[in-house]
Amino acid sequence: MEEQTPNDNVPQETKAPEAKATPRSKLLAGALMAVALVVGLYYVNRYWIAPAVKAQNKGDESHPLAPTFSLTDITGKPLNLSDYKGKVVVLDFWATWCGPCRIEIPGFIELQKRYASQGFTMIGISLDESPEPVVAFYKELQMNYPVAIGNDRLGELYGGMPGLPTTFVIGRDGRVYAKHIGATDPHVFEEEIRELLAASPEAEAKTFHQAGVVFADDKVELGNPAEIDSEVPGIDLTKLTAEQKEGYKKLLQSKVCTCGCNFTLLKCRQVDRRCTLSRKLAQEQLDAFLKTKPPGATSK
Amino acid sequence: MRKILQGLVLTLMAAHLGWAQKSNPVVEAHAVMATDAAHANSPVKIAVVAQVAAGYHINDHKPTLDYLIPTDLKLEHSDQFSVIKVVFPKGTPKKFTFSDVPLSVYEGSLVVGALLQAGKSVPAGTYTVKGKFAYQACNDHACLAPTSVPLTLMIKVVPKNVPLKPVESNVFQRIKFE
Repeated sequence: MEEQTPNDNVPQETKAPEAKATPRSKLLAGALMAVALVVGLYYVNRYWIAPAVKAQNKGDESHPLAPTFSLTDITGKPLNLSDYKGKVVVLDFWATWCGPCRIEIPGFIELQKRYASQGFTMIGISLDESPEPVVAFYKELQMNYPVAIGNDRLGELYGGMPGLPTTFVIGRDGRVYAKHIGATDPHVFEEEIRELLAASPEAEAKTFHQAGVVFADDKVELGNPAEIDSEVPGIDLTKLTAEQKEGYKKLLQSKVCTCGCNFTLLKCRQVDRRCTLSRKLAQEQLDAFLKTKPPGATSK
Repeated sequence: MRKILQGLVLTLMAAHLGWAQKSNPVVEAHAVMATDAAHANSPVKIAVVAQVAAGYHINDHKPTLDYLIPTDLKLEHSDQFSVIKVVFPKGTPKKFTFSDVPLSVYEGSLVVGALLQAGKSVPAGTYTVKGKFAYQACNDHACLAPTSVPLTLMIKVVPKNVPLKPVESNVFQRIKFE
């Protein structure tokens, strides 16, 4: 059997010279395909990825109430989240040492200009260690919205800050509707602000849908105040009796933390709330402790 | 077209990568000596070998912009050893979406050298030198809080008549102490 070459069955007349793609038409086709791909990715995210992430958020925890806070802003004015009830708030956790945070600020200034009169405000919570660089940056960029210096506890109430910027979008009803980790296009916030401005301040905006590319880490998971305000930060002791609490704390005092801090487990928890190893070890100790002394057990 | 596709996929992957790794340390570091032991009244070369996780960078010891937090090596005071100098490598200039200018950063593996001086009358024995490798890491989209890796190095001081053997030569080749 004779092998055919690829062109054996192709009549020569079909190879018309005008059928050849020019570099210009190739470029145009490439550009059109790129645009189609971007549009396709947008819709895949909007109707497939985002709803899948949102599906994990269903139930009462879907749009949890934003933890309230009372701080003093860098101009000396009180800054209470509860004062903004009825407004849409974009709450931005950021720092001056964070390049991706800084690049977002002009967009936030613009959003404040555009929507402040419609019931919106930006709030900045800086996680800088001192106010000086924040004040300098605030003045340099002529920031037009309140900025306060935050703290670890506030960050934990909002579910911890694995990375900055981390920005929350809060509705008129005081619920957290969206969370964005990392520098985000201002149009994403604008889309969400518009949607929430149109929503009722009385009821949860159940049809709200997070704009932009949504990742699993964008799921809104707030911190547990029982763990955050615990005598052993990060560990919920509310089910323990006073006697058990003391016993557990003594146990942690007798254990050395292996994170490299050279403290006991108790001290490491108290001085370094961000230490994930001491938290894990302290929880393991609690689980073991409760096996020997279950909640409610009292010594005679 | 393939390049456009690759770019898009890499961008999406990079965004995911950053937070997929958040539970793992972004920087791992340990300290080593240039010799198996040290002599009293002699210089002691040590190095900190650090590995920055893929997708992340940490700032140069001399950052490009004022607001960036420099990478630093902080050695605790010791009665037996004094710090003569610390030598940082030169960073690599890299352009990021959040900066108009390329930033000098460290990525991947880096080695920081430290030249110590053992005290004149340090008796033979084993001593601990402690320190911290301090850094602030970012990827192209977000930053992590400044933090540090605790370091502990055991230095064995031996009598002058005991010869010292070079170790970790591949590490110390990367440092210019002069």
